[in-house]
Amino acid sequence: MNNSLPLSDVKILDLMWVMAGPAGTRVLADYGATLVRVDSQRRIDTARTLQPFLNRKAGPDNSALFQNLNAGKYGLAIDMTKEAGREVIRDLVRWADVVTESFSPRAMKGWGLDYESLRKIKPDIIMISSCLMGQTGPWARFAGFGNLAAAISGFFNLVSWADRPPAGPFSAYTDYVSPRFTAISILAALEHRRRTGQGQYIDQSQAEASLHFLGPALLDYTVNGRVQSGRGNRDLDIAPHGIYPALGEDRWLALAAPTEEQWRSLCLIMNKPELLDDPRFTTRDARLAHQDPLDEIISGWTRTQDRFVAEDLLQSRGVSAGAVRSLYEMEHDPQLQHRKHFVQLEHNTLGPVTVEGSRFRMSRTPAVVERSAPTWGRDNQYVLEQILGYNEEKITELIVAEALE
Amino acid sequence: MLSAYRVLDLTTERGLLCGQILGDLGADVIKVEPPGGSPARRLGPFYQDQPHPDRSLLWWAYNRNKRGITLDLTSPAGKEIFLRLVQSAHFLVESDNPGAMAQLGLGYDTLAALNPGLIYISISAFGQDGPKASYADSDLVILTASGPTILSGDSDRAPLRLSVPQAYLHACAEAATAAMLANHERHRSGQGQYIDVSAQQAIALATQAYILSGPYKDVEIQRMAGGIKVGPITIRLLWPAKDGYVAITYLFGTAFGHFTKRLMDWIHEEGLCSDEIQTMDWVRFGGELFAGGDAIAKFEQLKLIVEDFTKTKTKAELLHGALERTLLIAPISKLDEVVASPQLNARGYWQDVAHPELGQTFKYPGPFVKFSETPIAYRRRPPLVGEHNREIFVNELGMAEQQLTTLQQHGVI
Repeated sequence: MNNSLPLSDVKILDLMWVMAGPAGTRVLADYGATLVRVDSQRRIDTARTLQPFLNRKAGPDNSALFQNLNAGKYGLAIDMTKEAGREVIRDLVRWADVVTESFSPRAMKGWGLDYESLRKIKPDIIMISSCLMGQTGPWARFAGFGNLAAAISGFFNLVSWADRPPAGPFSAYTDYVSPRFTAISILAALEHRRRTGQGQYIDQSQAEASLHFLGPALLDYTVNGRVQSGRGNRDLDIAPHGIYPALGEDRWLALAAPTEEQWRSLCLIMNKPELLDDPRFTTRDARLAHQDPLDEIISGWTRTQDRFVAEDLLQSRGVSAGAVRSLYEMEHDPQLQHRKHFVQLEHNTLGPVTVEGSRFRMSRTPAVVERSAPTWGRDNQYVLEQILGYNEEKITELIVAEALE
Repeated sequence: MLSAYRVLDLTTERGLLCGQILGDLGADVIKVEPPGGSPARRLGPFYQDQPHPDRSLLWWAYNRNKRGITLDLTSPAGKEIFLRLVQSAHFLVESDNPGAMAQLGLGYDTLAALNPGLIYISISAFGQDGPKASYADSDLVILTASGPTILSGDSDRAPLRLSVPQAYLHACAEAATAAMLANHERHRSGQGQYIDVSAQQAIALATQAYILSGPYKDVEIQRMAGGIKVGPITIRLLWPAKDGYVAITYLFGTAFGHFTKRLMDWIHEEGLCSDEIQTMDWVRFGGELFAGGDAIAKFEQLKLIVEDFTKTKTKAELLHGALERTLLIAPISKLDEVVASPQLNARGYWQDVAHPELGQTFKYPGPFVKFSETPIAYRRRPPLVGEHNREIFVNELGMAEQQLTTLQQHGVI
């Protein structure tokens, strides 16, 4: 453990699974928290079953998603349906500052591990429950994944061409938004406990947290009564603004001209100075009113351009443009490489695996990402002996009770 | 929770959410704007479509729980006042082009010399250094540089973004996380630090690890309207209902098979699938599908059966069924339906925020989580241009009234 990392004094019992929860705690592990993640083969973490897989082969440790979300965490494989298993969990609660969970509401209560029970064991415990719709309300039992929360919260409908049914954002969008609020809430509760000694319970609805990413559009409805829907790639304030076809099959160039200067440069680069005097395009408002002809003219030019050459050319003159990269091309993106976004870790059964690094840099206490995600039970011995101080006899009892996996 | 802390928020439209999160948590956030107001105030939509610096709904959405002052940081007098504020600040957030703050003489090193405990956060498109650090940015350019957008949209058209700009919001939420981490560390070391947030890296989370497809040597999945193509398999998320659309996670294997079994039982009850189909092994079918062969054609047939079923129901009926039977179905809601959501209303999500300057009260999206002991309060509506100039400059910094007037006349405030 690195004592200089921000959270080197923070201990977390992590009962989260799948995507949103583990993404929220991964950042805490990157910055030094000791995180014991409980996993069970009786209730396989869905993330272990999701692509992409190493060499296209399914397998409990082969999922890039699982590896990416759980690097840096200790893995304890325990059967929580057994009383002996739950006793270990209660000992971990005594050890922990924070308990996290992302089951459907009521699951923790069913195990006798709800907040009221935990605070009896440890009065200043901080507990966060994160689920799709929150712990209360008529839809609390609504089960599912972030794609469903994205549908019911309005995100899906906002990714759409005006003349087509909604296309939806990629996969489970609220699972990519809500984790930040999970981490922030845990850190804020730790700050409150540091000042007052008081723990607390945090009820996170992933939908409610994520709705902040639709703030202006929600206010457009509550204030103006206007229901926004998908506008293709067009923008309320900027024209041109689109993803235009480039040379080649399924090759695209993202391009926007948020300022007059950029618009002017774009016209000159396209060798169409006449557009600068065209009354349809002379002001931002005029361009917003004539986006169909505008997009047609720009597409006519972009179709003849290699997307990477165009990116360099436009950016060299200060125009906001970028080649749309394929998934395979991401690995070679010079900026992501420069930022060391991809980190290689040694995995105990797979050999080298790649995960994403921290999404920000801290000057004095940079993230340490060096331990791969746990295989089932990889850290059982470490957790039971070193963290909980169990002796051999006690561990044998757990094995006999079939609580350990 | 953070009432002991002061945040100086210098961000442009790129970084507003970070300070708001800290403000929601109780910090004293001072939004510092150029005289005349932040350029973000010129971005729509607007209250009653009236372009006016105090009526931008983008501004409203991301500046609650902040106080607002105007100050010309390019003038020596403005800078001097600002440096006094820095001395009492715990956090500073900015989102100017990389290097711009240093050029103003307000870079991290300069301010840290004045206030070593300062946590200084920069939010930018690609980070402060690297080959793209000085790129002209936009939501689209960031979204397409790190993944998620290539995966959404109709296969016969361009990749598609979400119509509400997203990239910088991801960066802002990361920035607030980083601020809290640095704060936790500062209790031990007494030292602040510099934080450099890249929106490109932040939004990569929205690829659900598919950004790692290359290093893992898995297939490149492809965008498809209302779903995704995984090699020869088309996974469909969008289904027609009588009165719109619903999303269904129609998948198999250990994680999804039991949900699918319950859905097929319902379809069978309605007489819309055969006994033979109802009794399929939905856990095993997942493996069969990814092995290819006949299962792919079977999958196509199954999707038509599900579609014929969903078409006979309304969104509300399907949601009701999902709740009763624990199925993976959700309505594709429009924003008016989101605001009317029985769930959000039962939980008291929407917050009434009074705008006395307009004599009206409006519903805002509510607290991002529910804290049992320290609930998030909406203490202040977003500030008008220069609303707290007197309160902060005169009452708190002890500036003479006359000096305030002079500075206003010189365009510094």
